[in-house]
Amino acid sequence: METLFEKFTGQFEGKILNVRRCHGIPVANVAKEDLSAMTRFIHHDKAMHGTLSLLWAVDHRPRDDRYELLYLFTLRGYQDWMVLTIDLRGDDRVFPSITSFIHAAQWYEREIRDMFGLIAQGHPDLRRLVRHEHWPKGTHPLRKTYPWDTVLTREQGEYSFRRIEGEGVFEVAVGPIHAGVIEPGHFRFSVAGEPVMQLEVRHFWKHRGVEKLFEQKFLTEGVTLSERISGDTTVGHALAYCEAVETLLGLEVPVRAKYLRCVFLELERLHNHLGDVGAICNDVAFALAHAHCGRMKERMMQLNDRLTGSRFLRGVMGVGGTQVDLDPQQFAQLVGELDTIEPDFTELENILAVNASLNDRLETTGLLKARTAWDHAALGYVARASGMDRDLRFDRPFAAYDLLNVKVARYQEGDVRARMRVRIDEIHESMRLIRQIRSDIRPGPIRVEPTTMPQAGDWALSAVEGWRGEILYFVMAGEDGRIHRCKVRDPSFVNWPIIQLAVLGNIIPDFPLINKSFNLSYAGNDL
Amino acid sequence: MFKMIKKSLKTATVTGQYPVNSGDAQPVQCTAEAKRKAKPFRKSLTIREVDTGSCNACEMEINALANSVYDVERFGVHIAASPRHADALVITGPVTVNMESALKDVFKTTPDPKLVIALGDCAINCGIFKGSYGVTGPVDRHVPVDVRIPGCPPRPAEILQALDDLRKD
Repeated sequence: METLFEKFTGQFEGKILNVRRCHGIPVANVAKEDLSAMTRFIHHDKAMHGTLSLLWAVDHRPRDDRYELLYLFTLRGYQDWMVLTIDLRGDDRVFPSITSFIHAAQWYEREIRDMFGLIAQGHPDLRRLVRHEHWPKGTHPLRKTYPWDTVLTREQGEYSFRRIEGEGVFEVAVGPIHAGVIEPGHFRFSVAGEPVMQLEVRHFWKHRGVEKLFEQKFLTEGVTLSERISGDTTVGHALAYCEAVETLLGLEVPVRAKYLRCVFLELERLHNHLGDVGAICNDVAFALAHAHCGRMKERMMQLNDRLTGSRFLRGVMGVGGTQVDLDPQQFAQLVGELDTIEPDFTELENILAVNASLNDRLETTGLLKARTAWDHAALGYVARASGMDRDLRFDRPFAAYDLLNVKVARYQEGDVRARMRVRIDEIHESMRLIRQIRSDIRPGPIRVEPTTMPQAGDWALSAVEGWRGEILYFVMAGEDGRIHRCKVRDPSFVNWPIIQLAVLGNIIPDFPLINKSFNLSYAGNDL
Repeated sequence: MFKMIKKSLKTATVTGQYPVNSGDAQPVQCTAEAKRKAKPFRKSLTIREVDTGSCNACEMEINALANSVYDVERFGVHIAASPRHADALVITGPVTVNMESALKDVFKTTPDPKLVIALGDCAINCGIFKGSYGVTGPVDRHVPVDVRIPGCPPRPAEILQALDDLRKD
């Protein structure tokens, strides 16, 4: 049977410069003049039905004097990947923008402009994204010529927000410092009366230069940094990083370690989802649910601490396997805890299901239509609450998920309640998975040591379904086992622009609720 | 309604159900100067959290202080919504280039007398982000710091211990 990638190469026969496979992923190198037509075809063709998963750049200096732009598409059914690449050689700093027909590319292209100084020609909005107005002109930190350890100087400058003007229209500015104990970010609402006409999210206050920091490290020592990209997704990021590096090093992770990785990932999903269900209720002043969920979440985190010595499961992942093993007593303790929490949570769930005033606030609030979600390539529970059937644990199984058969939670409504119900279903599913792993897991080694060194220029991509959604890592090896480039994509980076659309028409007092139902990471977005 | 009351009655008191010394962290000992500054706030301390670039694990632990297990309000500690209402600023994360002026603004708007608590390794010494172009230095490069609570992140019990020590002789 013809694969979708073959259909693509057939369609553009003679125009593709080079086709190869990189660790199983088909890669086509094309001329930049043909890029628009090709991406348009992948996105719009009924059979291909491709959604842009990642768009990133690599500076190949000093080995090769060129910039490479890479476009990762997930094709129909969310199972197959393909990568398109274009090269910019010499003084060429311009590449064609695809944002006008693939909306998901919008922030990626602005990010590339800021970090590399490459300009997306035809982009409708080329304001700065990562670089705040006080960054000096010409600062592009991910260029290889830019020193990693020189702190930026400051300049005067002003950011111009998108403006709506007219009688009765006013602006509400929120942040970067918010009222709750949350991370910094700025939201600018344009409002006429009660409903929101426009929201502009202005982030990157927490930009710490993570990708540049990775480039100073060896492949085997990046795990601690990946754990600290977004604290609530410690396991997700560490696992995605490890999987990418293991592909590069050609490591086959032992089965027991694969199972343990699933356990830790599900534990992380559990404590975050439990907290979120309570927090969503708290934002409509239903404090009782918040108190119960907070209590259950705390139990899970104390359990994490007892099992691994870290409430956030830090230090459990390692390149080649896991650093922590669980003995049968610990598994018994873990499942015993789940057996007390599950009926406890189910009781609360029944209270939530019939509470009319709660459901009245949650239903039809923050509506995200299926079409909008697809256009912007939504991820995680946001996508699944808007009818998209995408969950990497099922679509592209990593770790031991190919042995586990995950049931994907999905709702069609696309409102806050649907996003909460996806989480509730996933809590039960995570508990089921952990129980199943306990009965399936067999004794064995939990770690293998790397023996080979990857060739400079070799790269690998990995994807992990963290609790928030799809986490992507692109790791390219440099000389002597160093990292040449590490692109990190937290699902927040994709879902933040989408929240701008989900709040339209809602009233400002509902924004905290909608925001909570998305519960995106600022740190993972800002990097 | 009946279900809710039943659920509340069935759930026993959970406050205080946490291990006091689960890690190997040394208890925080506040300086005499910090204790002197904290004297007016012994019975009631209102804190305001400011994130200047943390990975959000520290925020999660501060939020955990407010849950029914740690219930920080029983010690007279209240989390305020604005720095204008705060007695103490709790600052997390290395100070990023983009957050530097926001941090200075917050410090200025907090009324005197005030305390500054640097929470977590990043706030104290930039942690793993040390040296990066995006990070301008630890908190005490920009504002004076009175109390340092180390950890990555410190456990809620450790934060409680530090807040307790701060308000003792």
